[in-house]
Amino acid sequence: MPLENHEKARFLLHRSLVEGISLEDRQWLDAHVGQCAECGRYADLSARAVRALDWFALELDPAAALRVENVVRSRAEGMRSAEAHAKSLWIGTAVAIFLTFTGSAVTWRPLAWLASQWNLPSRVWQIVFAAFWLLPSLLLAFLPLFRRRLLGEDSDSNGQTV
Amino acid sequence: MVGMVTAFSRVAEPESQCIARALRRRDSEFIGRMVSRYHYRLLRYLVYWTSRREQAEDLVQETWLRVLEHAGQYNGRLRFEPWLFSIARNLAIDHLRKQQTARARHRMCREDEAGLNLPAPDFESPFFAAARSEDAKRIAAALGALEPIYREALLLRFQEELSLAEIAQVAGAPISTVSSRIHRGLSMLEASLGGGADAA
Repeated sequence: MPLENHEKARFLLHRSLVEGISLEDRQWLDAHVGQCAECGRYADLSARAVRALDWFALELDPAAALRVENVVRSRAEGMRSAEAHAKSLWIGTAVAIFLTFTGSAVTWRPLAWLASQWNLPSRVWQIVFAAFWLLPSLLLAFLPLFRRRLLGEDSDSNGQTV
Repeated sequence: MVGMVTAFSRVAEPESQCIARALRRRDSEFIGRMVSRYHYRLLRYLVYWTSRREQAEDLVQETWLRVLEHAGQYNGRLRFEPWLFSIARNLAIDHLRKQQTARARHRMCREDEAGLNLPAPDFESPFFAAARSEDAKRIAAALGALEPIYREALLLRFQEELSLAEIAQVAGAPISTVSSRIHRGLSMLEASLGGGADAA
């Protein structure tokens, strides 16, 4: 039997285990292995090697598994509540900004009227309006979002970083 | 690479969509069940990588915490297992790199050697502990001698039964590389069983 046939048989044997082979190759391989004792032994060896991998069974420690499960569960819950909190902060900020601008639009006309009654230059009362109405409102609206940074809290809600 | 991308774009089971949704919602009940369900397989994979049971146990937890952190990256279009194993793999590699750095530092600081007391390499113990037969004991010795990338390829193909494309996804390597790793690993295992005479 030519040497190439044995090499081909071994190549196909591995290939059949790793990625599969065509029906035509399978038929050729089966016929060859049936005739060649050496390649038959090799086929048996390959099958034993793969089977032996299945015989490794790690013993599980149920306590360790449960510990991991609990840690992951509590982290998931922590993340969910932190995300819900962050979401509510963003919504609150959006509402506060909206109210700031609508409130400003509403108070603008009475202030302009008062300024004209007191003969105040328009630039002066507008600066006063921005300094004592608009800026404080915007600062208050954004404050919750940057609270952590301002307070120097860098860790997440569980106080852990991965 | 084109082959890898094509192979990954196939449609996966709806279960992966449920997992993706649960991860995004931080559904602690569902996630807890998943941790329990994948615990053994993840532990076995990490033991194959690290060769140490205790380190593998720690890395299992770290893997799940990282899964939670990067939950948004899993869209459920592909199977969950390759994504999970790829996260575990990255952590294991980081861990092994840190260990190597620590060992290198240990070698450099000879005067402090006694104080550092790093554990000696113990590559065979988890495999020997799990070996249930003579063949398995021989395979255990061969596995201990194999590099982690070959052990990983064998485990993912023959025990996790992932496709070559999925293994390539986990390993971040082309399919041809993954295939040759499996062939080489298999040849080494055969050599250990057949005394080397039959190995290609």
